[in-house]
Amino acid sequence: MPTFTHGDVSIEVDEDGFMEDPESWNEEIAKALATTEGVEELSEEHWKLVNYLRDYWLKFGIAPMIRKLCKETGFPLKKVYELFPSGPAKGACKVAGLSKPTGCV
Amino acid sequence: MSKEKRSHKAQKVIERMGKKLNRQVVGSLVACVHCGNCTDSCHYVLANPGDPTYAPAYKADRIRKFFKAHYDWTGRVFPAWVGAKSLYTDEDLEELKDTVFGKCTNCRRCTINCPMGVDYATFNRMARGLLVSVGVMPEGVAVVSKDQWEIGNQMGVLKEDYLDTLEWMSEELQGELEDPNAGIPIDKEDADIVYSINPREVKYDPRTIADAAKIFHQAGANWTMPSEGWDMTNFGLFSGDDDLGGAVARRLYEKVSELRGKKLVISECGHGYRSTRCEGQNWAQWDIDFVMESSVITMLNYIKEGRIKVDKTRNTTPVTFHDSCNNARSCGLTEEPRELLKLVCTDFREMYPNRAENYCCTGGGGAMSMSEYTPRRLKSAKIKADQLAATGAKIVVTSCHNCVDGLADCIKHYKLGMEVTQLVNLVANALVIEKKVTVPVAEPIAASDLQGRRILVTDDEPDFVTFVSTVLEDNGATVFRAYNAAEAMEIARREKPDLITLDISMPDKDGSEVFADIREDDILKRIPVCIITGQPELRKLIYDKPHRPPEGFVSKPVTEDGLLLNVKKLLKVAHHQPEGVRKQ
Repeated sequence: MPTFTHGDVSIEVDEDGFMEDPESWNEEIAKALATTEGVEELSEEHWKLVNYLRDYWLKFGIAPMIRKLCKETGFPLKKVYELFPSGPAKGACKVAGLSKPTGCV
Repeated sequence: MSKEKRSHKAQKVIERMGKKLNRQVVGSLVACVHCGNCTDSCHYVLANPGDPTYAPAYKADRIRKFFKAHYDWTGRVFPAWVGAKSLYTDEDLEELKDTVFGKCTNCRRCTINCPMGVDYATFNRMARGLLVSVGVMPEGVAVVSKDQWEIGNQMGVLKEDYLDTLEWMSEELQGELEDPNAGIPIDKEDADIVYSINPREVKYDPRTIADAAKIFHQAGANWTMPSEGWDMTNFGLFSGDDDLGGAVARRLYEKVSELRGKKLVISECGHGYRSTRCEGQNWAQWDIDFVMESSVITMLNYIKEGRIKVDKTRNTTPVTFHDSCNNARSCGLTEEPRELLKLVCTDFREMYPNRAENYCCTGGGGAMSMSEYTPRRLKSAKIKADQLAATGAKIVVTSCHNCVDGLADCIKHYKLGMEVTQLVNLVANALVIEKKVTVPVAEPIAASDLQGRRILVTDDEPDFVTFVSTVLEDNGATVFRAYNAAEAMEIARREKPDLITLDISMPDKDGSEVFADIREDDILKRIPVCIITGQPELRKLIYDKPHRPPEGFVSKPVTEDGLLLNVKKLLKVAHHQPEGVRKQ
């Protein structure tokens, strides 16, 4: 099991860098994971998106559709890709501490 | 070798193999002469030169040995000589799983380099299917297969969510084109085209759906998207489970027949294209009475028939093309994407080797869903990374979603700094949308204050570029249009305009960086720049630069009069507001 270390954060991740134990997620971990997705600093907008993903995942156990994400956060699609250049599935979900999305992604 | 010593699962695998042995499989199992020609053709071997367990012939022998032990006479007569060895324990099955799922992407590059015609991927897939039938498979394959069996698509997207997303994309498109008829028709009967997609498009990145809809709309196509049976991907191809393959393919075929569609168009997905168009009819035992086509061919024909117009100067960044294994090696789709690329891009650079000889993206065969093998996958991606870097291109285009993700991982891991995109995005970006003439009243003659002025308009929103350009052209200016940073710099250097307008947020490069590039260029630095942005809060980005500040700064929304006032001020032209010019 690979370990991801950044600053004081040290967590177990899967081979694709997603958290092995999504329950133990916290804001420090999010900041650390963001560095692997080309996001050096999490702005207020980043947090809005990450928190939405987090809440949805805790409630339903899966990642939301991009449609729901945009509707609930009010961000246009383009904005999501600006915030997380690697996209919602790989970038934003990883930072929000979700497990790797299933399927061809 | 008695039955008693064998685990139940191993026994089932051996028994079921008998039912899978068709001529193609047996031909491939018996024909290998171990000449080693396949070795250098496999990206796993090339990236792991010291490890013979990656060699296709070695991997094939893991399957061949139990075939010989049970189904081939040579194995019965002289087992030791032909390496016949049965499977006994569940650990043997786990070992086999590691080879057939974790050391091969079923890309078939070894097949085309085999002088004996051994199609290793065919029986590697067969072995996967045998293991899946006894529940031995990577977790990712199990999860995705379950969703495809139960919910009908590989990402478990519910019908209402799918329809809601299509409606959203319809609204976006109607807004962009200012045309209420530009939506996505659902379940329209007797349509010429039924369009099927990959669930990742609807779940995570529906931009490709909007782009495709835009192209169909501009071409005036009689098209529709089905409310069910819309997932053209097929995990049956990856898992080797022909029953799943048949069930998934059948859902699509039945829906197209129900709608009496004339043609099923498959969006850019390699394994989906192969499964749906080439393999699905066998798995599903289903005869179809409609045509099936890749969207690449549909788009190409639209351009050739003059149904859509494209302007290739909108895609000026150097691009290369990555052939998906399923499209190129298994389905022969090699020339059409290149023809299309050359019509919509100005700088196409070939990748070597290419077409049927291209190397795997390393994410094929379902590898993207098997996290346990990711380190191996990324190590083997070195071959792909070298190939990509050698092209010198900034964008790699591919007609496969699996390749999109495989390549994106490779690019990230090897820090190549390239982007991955698909043909549909490039075609949509190059699409020339004729602006509808709503006011046929002649403009007053006085509106030629900008006669002879050459202005470069830069914005990634085509509608906005059209608006600004129309206003400026109506006033006599010559306008150059740029839709991204790269185009803007290229046109600026070539045309040396009298004024440059610049958006701040653009997908390829930030407008503030373009601004810096302009100011640092010995010739361009003299040209006045007017920032036009919808995010005035980003002005700090511009004003913090150690350069002369921009000559103009305008916030969106921009009115016709406001724009003219600013532009004329910057160009030191007197502003006469002609009578009859409509105020916004």
